Amino acid sequence: MSPLTITTRDAGTGPVLEITGDLDHATAPELRTVVEGLTLTAGHLLVVDLARLDFCDSSGISALLSARSWAITHGGGIALAAVPAHTARILRIVGLDQVFTLHPDVSAATAS
Amino acid sequence: MMCRTDQMVPEPGEGNDVDSTDAVFTSLLEDSAEELYEHAPCGYLSTLMDGTIAKINTTLLDWLGLDRSRVVGRMRFTDLLTVGGKLYHETHFAPLLQMKGEVSGIAMDIKAAAGQRMPVLVTSRVKTSKDGEPLLIRTTVFDARERRAYEAELLRGRRAAEEAHRQAEADRARLQEALAVLQQSLLPAELPVIPGLEAGSYYHTASPDLLGGDFYDLFPLVGGRWAFFLGDVCGKGPQAASVTSLARYTLRAAALHDADPVTVLTTLNNVLHERYAGGEGRYCTVIFGVLEPHDGHVGVHLASGGHPSALIQRADGSADYLPTPGGLLVGVLPQAPFTTAHARLLPGDTLLLYTDGLTEARTGPGRETFGEDALRSFTAAQPPSGPQALITALSGLLTSFGDGLDDDTALLALGMPASLPTPRVNT
Repeated sequence: MSPLTITTRDAGTGPVLEITGDLDHATAPELRTVVEGLTLTAGHLLVVDLARLDFCDSSGISALLSARSWAITHGGGIALAAVPAHTARILRIVGLDQVFTLHPDVSAATAS
Repeated sequence: MMCRTDQMVPEPGEGNDVDSTDAVFTSLLEDSAEELYEHAPCGYLSTLMDGTIAKINTTLLDWLGLDRSRVVGRMRFTDLLTVGGKLYHETHFAPLLQMKGEVSGIAMDIKAAAGQRMPVLVTSRVKTSKDGEPLLIRTTVFDARERRAYEAELLRGRRAAEEAHRQAEADRARLQEALAVLQQSLLPAELPVIPGLEAGSYYHTASPDLLGGDFYDLFPLVGGRWAFFLGDVCGKGPQAASVTSLARYTLRAAALHDADPVTVLTTLNNVLHERYAGGEGRYCTVIFGVLEPHDGHVGVHLASGGHPSALIQRADGSADYLPTPGGLLVGVLPQAPFTTAHARLLPGDTLLLYTDGLTEARTGPGRETFGEDALRSFTAAQPPSGPQALITALSGLLTSFGDGLDDDTALLALGMPASLPTPRVNT
């Protein structure tokens, strides 16, 4: 178990959230709170950097889907960057690799 | 209390001379030693060595509600005490005083005015002559009513805290019982008996405090067909359990209307997507399928919405997945793709549905996930003895994971007995 930390920065293409630690039943609400505090310009992209994600369960997946709904509601989009292999496998099993845009890293995600 | 500044002791360095300061003190300290003795904020008394009261101050007389003339020379110290206080004085206080010449801070009750008992703290010291002969006993009596009330309050507080703790424990036990009952309501009490088929199931609850989101069911359709499903709601706790309930009854109702697996999953998708639209979304993975018993085999038609692929243990000792890639987690998109698969179960074959608690369990020293390959190998290594035997083997495997199994896990196995024509069912 490692605690969750979320840092926010702004790329020219929109906000970038860097997620470190575990995204699970206990910590998923933090991600929702952070996302709801963001500002997203219509047409911009919310990038979630998962390079330092240690663990993600189904509550974490739900929180990522909430972030997606939030981004779409605000006229923007969402992309996941540097998804760890284990989480990528789960995303593939549940079919969410078709729903989220996946990038190998943040620079690829923000290079549009 | 307000003080008039011109009567206050001047601050040092304010320029008043020493004489005037002394005058102020003198006026404040007009009490004589006698005045101080009589009206001190504690009781004083002096007794002869036999306890006869020789002198007593006004403060104590007021507490006792007695007149000096009735006390001095007529009463002993013990006459002022309650029965309990007298006893304690005889057995402890007096002997100790005789031995050590001093006893300090002993809690006793005196008989106060108007029949009240008054808790006090008593300190006594023997006064001796120059050659060490005991002359008399000097005693101070402090009012301990506030202190006793405070102690009683502390005791009451402690009792209340203990009671609250007991209550909390009872509430906790009741809550766990309610959760267990609710959890059971999310699953069939027992699987139905299906002619010519065998079924087995298992449910592992990871935490008694958190309702799990795994569910399964098996029920008859018209025309001798049977429907089954097994799924996993994202998240945990009561919110997940409410989705579990919604999913279970939606799937059952939809299947009775039209049992086509993609149609059933589409109905569930519509329900979840609409029900939770605009708020915090709720999702689940599900495999829904239909069994069609025929002479010599059972046809399986299923569809998956983001659920791990079903596994088939064959009578010949092999095991293979029935892949359903590309099906989407149910409830995410208004129109979702679901992936179908078909299979034929021959006598001795077993179809296994499971939730990812099994494949995501942590095993070995490296805490690696158990994984799909290991599940297939494990299943292939089991004798093809039917659904219940496979469930028994897998529940043993789950137990062997110990704390590596930290998620709820549901198992449902369906098959055609190899040789036994008698229908059997186990849950």
